[in-house]
Parts: sequence; C-alpha cells; structure tokens
Amino acid sequence: MAVRTNFESKDEIGVFAKLTNAYCLASIGGSEIFYSTFEAELGDSIPVVHASLAGCRIIGRMCVGNRKGLLVPSSTFDQELQHLRNALPDSVKVQRIEERLSALGNVITCNDYVALVHPDLDRETEEIISDTLGVEVFRHTIAGNVLVGSYCVLNNRGALVHPNTSIVDQEELSSLLQVPLVAGTVNQGSSLVGAGVVVNDWCAFTGMDTTATELAVLESVFRLNEAEPSKIAQEMRASLIEGMS
Amino acid sequence: MADKIVIFNEDFNGMFDQSVNPARIESEVVPLISTTKEDSIIVDNNNLACSYCRVSFPNVRTQREHYRLDWHRYNLKLSLQLKPPIAEEEFSKKTENDEVSSISGSEEDEQDTLDTLATTQGKIFLQNDKGQVFSLYRGVLLVDKKEEIASVNFYKRYKDNCYDNKQWAVLMLGGGHFAGAIFNYLTPLVHKTFHCYTVRQGQGGSQSSRDNKSGGSHPKSAGASLRRYNEQALIDHVSDIMSTWSEELKKCSLIFYRASGPFNRAVLFGGKEPLLDRSDSRLRTIPFSTGRATYTEVKRVHLELCSASLYSSLNDAISSPEKDPKRNKARSSCINRAKSREPLERPLPGEISHGNSQENLSKIELKLKDEIVLKLEDSNDEEFVLDETNLEVSFEDLEEFGDSLTPEQRKKGQHKKKPKKSKNQKLREKEDLRKQNLINIAIKGNTVFLEELLQERSKIFENMSKQEVSKEIFNEILDEAGNSFLHLAAMNEHEEMLQYLLENEADPCLKNKHQQTPYSITNSKLSREIFKKFAKKNPEKYNYNKAQIPVNTLTDEEIAEKKRAMRKVKREKEKEKKKEIHIKKKEDEHKDRFLSLSDREKRALAAERRILNAQGKVIARCFLCGSDMAGKVPFEYLENRFCSIECLKGHRMKTSNC
Repeated sequence: MAVRTNFESKDEIGVFAKLTNAYCLASIGGSEIFYSTFEAELGDSIPVVHASLAGCRIIGRMCVGNRKGLLVPSSTFDQELQHLRNALPDSVKVQRIEERLSALGNVITCNDYVALVHPDLDRETEEIISDTLGVEVFRHTIAGNVLVGSYCVLNNRGALVHPNTSIVDQEELSSLLQVPLVAGTVNQGSSLVGAGVVVNDWCAFTGMDTTATELAVLESVFRLNEAEPSKIAQEMRASLIEGMS
Repeated sequence: MADKIVIFNEDFNGMFDQSVNPARIESEVVPLISTTKEDSIIVDNNNLACSYCRVSFPNVRTQREHYRLDWHRYNLKLSLQLKPPIAEEEFSKKTENDEVSSISGSEEDEQDTLDTLATTQGKIFLQNDKGQVFSLYRGVLLVDKKEEIASVNFYKRYKDNCYDNKQWAVLMLGGGHFAGAIFNYLTPLVHKTFHCYTVRQGQGGSQSSRDNKSGGSHPKSAGASLRRYNEQALIDHVSDIMSTWSEELKKCSLIFYRASGPFNRAVLFGGKEPLLDRSDSRLRTIPFSTGRATYTEVKRVHLELCSASLYSSLNDAISSPEKDPKRNKARSSCINRAKSREPLERPLPGEISHGNSQENLSKIELKLKDEIVLKLEDSNDEEFVLDETNLEVSFEDLEEFGDSLTPEQRKKGQHKKKPKKSKNQKLREKEDLRKQNLINIAIKGNTVFLEELLQERSKIFENMSKQEVSKEIFNEILDEAGNSFLHLAAMNEHEEMLQYLLENEADPCLKNKHQQTPYSITNSKLSREIFKKFAKKNPEKYNYNKAQIPVNTLTDEEIAEKKRAMRKVKREKEKEKKKEIHIKKKEDEHKDRFLSLSDREKRALAAERRILNAQGKVIARCFLCGSDMAGKVPFEYLENRFCSIECLKGHRMKTSNC
C-alpha cells in the first residue's frame, strides 16, 4: 500500500521518517497527524516511534537502518539513543557511528541484504554497517552522484533510483542488488527519491504532491499491492531456508 | 633560482615575443573521458559487469568480490574525477610503487599547483616557445580577475602597457596619508606626498564614518571638527594635485592605486567630477600589501610591480615558489627555545692581513707618499705655499723578533695587567673597607674601639668640639640597609655600647631603610630600658616620639611603690569586708537561736533584753514610795504601780481621806 502524507506541509517524507520492516521512526512535529498516519497504517505490525537525532527533526537523512539494526550519527544525544533502544524491539541493534559524513541517510541506502554507500566512506564505517545491519556493502554512485542515499530507495523487492541513471548503470545496479530496478521520480518530479519517499516491504509513504503515475510505479516496483506482512513470512521462509542450507 | 628582471628592459622584451602563453603543466593535462560510457563497455548477457573498471564477470559472486577490491575503489575515485579507469595490472604496479596515496580517500590534501600559487600571489606565469617561464603581476597585463586568460593576446598587452609606453602612475591613499608618483621607466617624473590629520586617535576610523554611524548627532569636539575640516582639505588637495598632473596621467599606460575604505575610494572616485574614472581600463589596484603611503613606499611598489621573476624551466617555477614573505615571517618567529641553536660564524671586523712584512712596508710607504701628495694638492688649491720636505722613512733596519713566550705565559702576563681602577673607584673601595670595619666593631659591641676612634678623630679635627666630632662619627650610616651604630648595637643587644653611644651624641631618631629606629629594632628588654632611661634623663634632647621611645613610662622603683600602695588599699578593703561578713554571721547565728526558742523563752528573752538595755536606768518606780521596782511584779491600782501592798494601802488611805 502506498500512502500520501506530508510533514507540516512538506512533501519530503524520507527526510522526516525512517521506515524498515521492523520499526518506523517518525520525527516530532507540531501536530500528531504525521505520526498518526504511520500509526494507523503500521501500528498493528511494527512499533512506530517518535524520535529526534541530535535535537534535529531530519531523522530520515541522519540515520540508516533495516530489520536488523539502526545506525545513528555520533552527534546523537545519549538520551535519544537510550529512548531508541527502549522503544525498538530487542532484535534491532542500535549503534552510533563516528563518521565524517554524518548524514548517514544521504550516504547510505540499504535493504535487509545489501547496502550502497558513498565512495568516500571510512572503511571502519563500512565494517560497522556490514556487522550491524548484516548486509553486503558496495561503494557506488548513482547517475554520477555520490549521495546514494538521496538518489536511491530500495526494499527487498525492488529499487527506485534517480531518473537520470543510465541503462547500463541500472543493469549493473540491479545485478549488484539482485532486485529489479526502476529509474523514476517522486513528489511530482523530484529526483531526490530517497528524501521523498519511505518504503518497506509492504508499505510506502510519499508526499502529497506525488502523482498517480509515480504512485503506480512505486507500487509496482516495490510490489506493494501483493504484499502483506503475513505474506512476507511465508514467502521469506523459502529464501531463508535456502540461505541456511 | 628565480632571477628578478625589470619588465621594461630590452632583455625582457626579447623574451616576451608573440609565442608567449600562460604556462601549462603538461602532466596535469589529462584527456577527459567521454561522458557516455556505454560504447566502451562490453555488455554481457547477464549484465554482470563493472562499468567503472570495464570488466565483466561470469557470475554474481565474482562480481560482488570485485566490488571489494582496491582496484575498483581506485577506479571509482578516478571516475569521480572524470578520469579514465586503469587496468588491474597498472593498478598493482602503482600500489607496489606506493603511488596510490588514498583509496578510501576522504583525507586528500591539495598540492600547491602553479595555478593556486599564482592566484595566491596575484601573479600569472607565462611561458614562451623557448621554454622560459616568467611570472609577473596579473594587473600588469590583465584588467581584472574576471578576464579569461585564454582570450588575451599577451604580447599586445605587454607592448601596450609596458614596452611602448613605460609611463605608469602609482597612487596610494590611506589613514590621512597621500602619496602619488608618475614614473617613466624607473625614474619618477612627478611625485607628491602629504598627510592630514583625519584618523580618530585611539578609536581609529575616519571622522566621516564615525559621523555616519552616529546618525544625526555628530560629535562636536574640537578634534572632531578639526578632522572633518582636514578630510575636506585632503579631498581638495588631492584633486588639486591630480588636476596639475592631468597631462601626465593621460599619457600613463597603467594607473595603480591603493585606496582602502569607502572614504579613501570616495576621494578618488566620488564627488561630482571624479578624479579617476572607475571604468578606465588602465586602472589597477596594487595586488600586494603595502605600508603607509610615503614616497619610498610608492617607489617600492613601482619597482615591485615592474619586476618579473624569471625561471629557467617550468619545474623550476613550481619548485621555487616565492612564498608570501609574511607567511614565512610568521613561521620563523616561532623559535623552538627547547632546542639549542646552531652557533653562527661571524667574521671578525677589520681583517688583519698576514702577508709578508716586506709587502706591508711598501704599502705603508706608498700610503705615506699618497698622503703627502694629497696634502700638497690641498695646499695648492688653497694657494698656500708650504715647504716641501720629502720624508723617507726607512724600515730596513727593522727586524723580525721571535716570539719566545708560550701562550700560557702570555696569558699570565695579561692577567697581571689588571685594569686600572679609577681614582673614584679606589676611594669608594677604601670607604667600603672602613665602613666594614666599623660595622664589625658595632656588631662585636666593643666600646673601647669606639673610644679610640673618637679620640683619633678628635685629634684630626682639632677645631671642632668633642661633641661635634662624636656626632659626626656615631650618626654615620654604615650599611646598605641604612643602619647606624645605634641600630647595629641595638640589634646585637650590646647595652654598654648603647649607653656609650647615647651619651656621645648618637641620635636615636635615625631610621634605617625599613623605617625602624634603634629602639624598635632591638629585641632585648634591657636595651629598651637603656633607651627609656636616657629619654627620661634628657627629656628635651631629642624628639623621642620620632625615635619611638615611650617617655612617660615609670621607673622600676616608682612602679614598685605604686604597687605597694595599691596592695595596701586592697588589703584594707579586704579586712573591712571580712569584718562585715563576721558581723553578719553573728547576727544570723542569733536569729537562728532565737527562732529555735519556744514562745515563753522568747518572751523571757525579750524582757531580759529590755532590762539589759535599760541597764542602769530605772524605768518603773513605785507610785507612792518611789523605790525601784525592777525585777519585781508591780501591784496595780487605778493604773498606778506600787512596789508593795503597804504602799498601795497607804495610797488608798490617802485618797480615801480626800
């Protein structure tokens, strides 16, 4: 399901929220409408948590995470870190990263299996990412941009990248990520797809401006129509057993 | 490495030919890769390829492994810099030679390229086809920063600005100073400097800017109005100068100016008829820091501007950057004081030539002759007639003597030759010695020596009385702390000496440098007693207040007497008190006894006491016979008391008769 919403009349949902298969972080705004939208959609399957990082509301751009973990920048306050640890399920590892490129959401994008990172990221950070999030890490660029987190959004079923990404790049990326890949826009033509949309395996939230076409592309590439939280368990079982054997 | 050369010179003109172009570092020029990568990539069926490294893979695992390689990272970096990727073999070769500095590469330090170097110095590097490289200030050839270097005909610019018309003007304005000059080649044609008091003392800044800040209320102080007037005067003066120079200015090929701040710029470009036109293509700012606007500074600036640095090759130009002198200075000012510095070798002033003596001699002769000749010429000039005597000094009989002394001996000899002391110094030393002796005497407390000293002195100064002499001697200040004999004696507690000194006119009022008198400096009670006694004996001699000696104190005997008297009084008082206590005690005893008696006894006692109190006196007598009735119980009749019944009967008989 794809839902249109906005944060204080801003359409960049990916800036103010972080959505994964195990939890959802929503930034603290002036009204509870933003939070309520998430709570209404996700409340029965995963925890939706009010969060701020280093006192900022742009949590979606500052942190990165998946089902297994959450990485926050070094500027995060101890109190905020404690709150996150309390609110998130025990299976989610929350870790603080000392990294020069502190907007982790802009320099890293990941699903539960792979992560694309900025070419200049520290090797140490790369190791932490692969340990905490349990992913394979690839340094890459998207359409010549180093900010892979801003120009790419992916879940376990598909990926949406910057509209200017060349076919060759798309093919290469899709082979690397092992998911189908589409170049497109969100929020009525915004190429900042990472900042414009949040997505997990069964749900996506985009800005109010998103056109019907964009929404249709989103739903098809991320396979949101067929997805239900319960279905995932069934489908994933096969892949999990395959991985274990 | 870099030779300085004036750009007006023929040599430089020879080098600066049509072929001159901005210097390029060939190694830096890299062919840019085509933006479209598709054509060069082998597109596999599986699409398992790395577009950065231009390789394809048989399966996903190999592809994923490839993305871990440093080679891939390096190519990724290269692609971000728009450079073509390198092959794996090339990369491994590079890593062996440590040429690859950083692959994760967030810590990339920029090297000083020729371009950055040139821009920081405000210079451009030019190169002719012979490979000669020279750097000169941008402003000399280019109009402003925005001008594209590639589109400029440097040769024409050089001919126009420098070689064909060598007339330049330099104007400097700042802090109330004006300095300007117009040079042709290197010689100044006209120049002028002056200074007006316009900058606010202490606060800085010009008066007009202060006035603008303060809004409507301008400061009305004398200084403020003075500065306001001077600012106007400066503007007028500058415009006068410029108008007189206008002919020369028109001929100039370049005009360099320095006018920092809005006020100074307004002087040149402001007003109804600006002195200089802002859009004038000849105008340039001075591209380096300058000092106060003076004529010497203007000359320096001109020389600096019209000089170019010449390098033999391009590499030379890169490797020998003329660093900013200021930066260098800042660095060199930090001396590591923890480290020992290298000793500098300094040549001795006036070298002594060690050539053979014969040559020296001949030289001396020559000199002498020259001097004589010179003198003669002088005398001729002044038309003096002098007797001419040719002096021939013969040195032939001079012999060379061997130096028989060893270096040690020579040293000894030098030691013997002590520097002669001046008379003053000698006297001072003598004086010091004498004072030291006196101090020793005072410290030892030897009165006999003092006596001797006094007698000796009084023999010398016969005309003076003994008192005066002793006053002179004993009030002398002996040491650096300003102590006199009395101080020293008091400090060392020599009572006998103190007594002697005080009797011999030593002044107890003298203070040393710590403002202590002899009385206050001493620690012993006995010494103080001596002072006090002396003060008592001679109450008028000194101001004892000044000497800090208490005068109104009592002697021991007086104190004892007073004490005795006091004790007596006290004793009497005690006696009286005792007495009173005794009486009270007795009374209490009586009371207690009385209280313990029975009522009858009490009455009896009262009667007894009455009787006792009456003692001899008779209170009750018989009414008739008048005999004493004490101790008897009287007989009563009609309130009359009778001693016996007979008396009563007799009385009744009498009255009944009536």
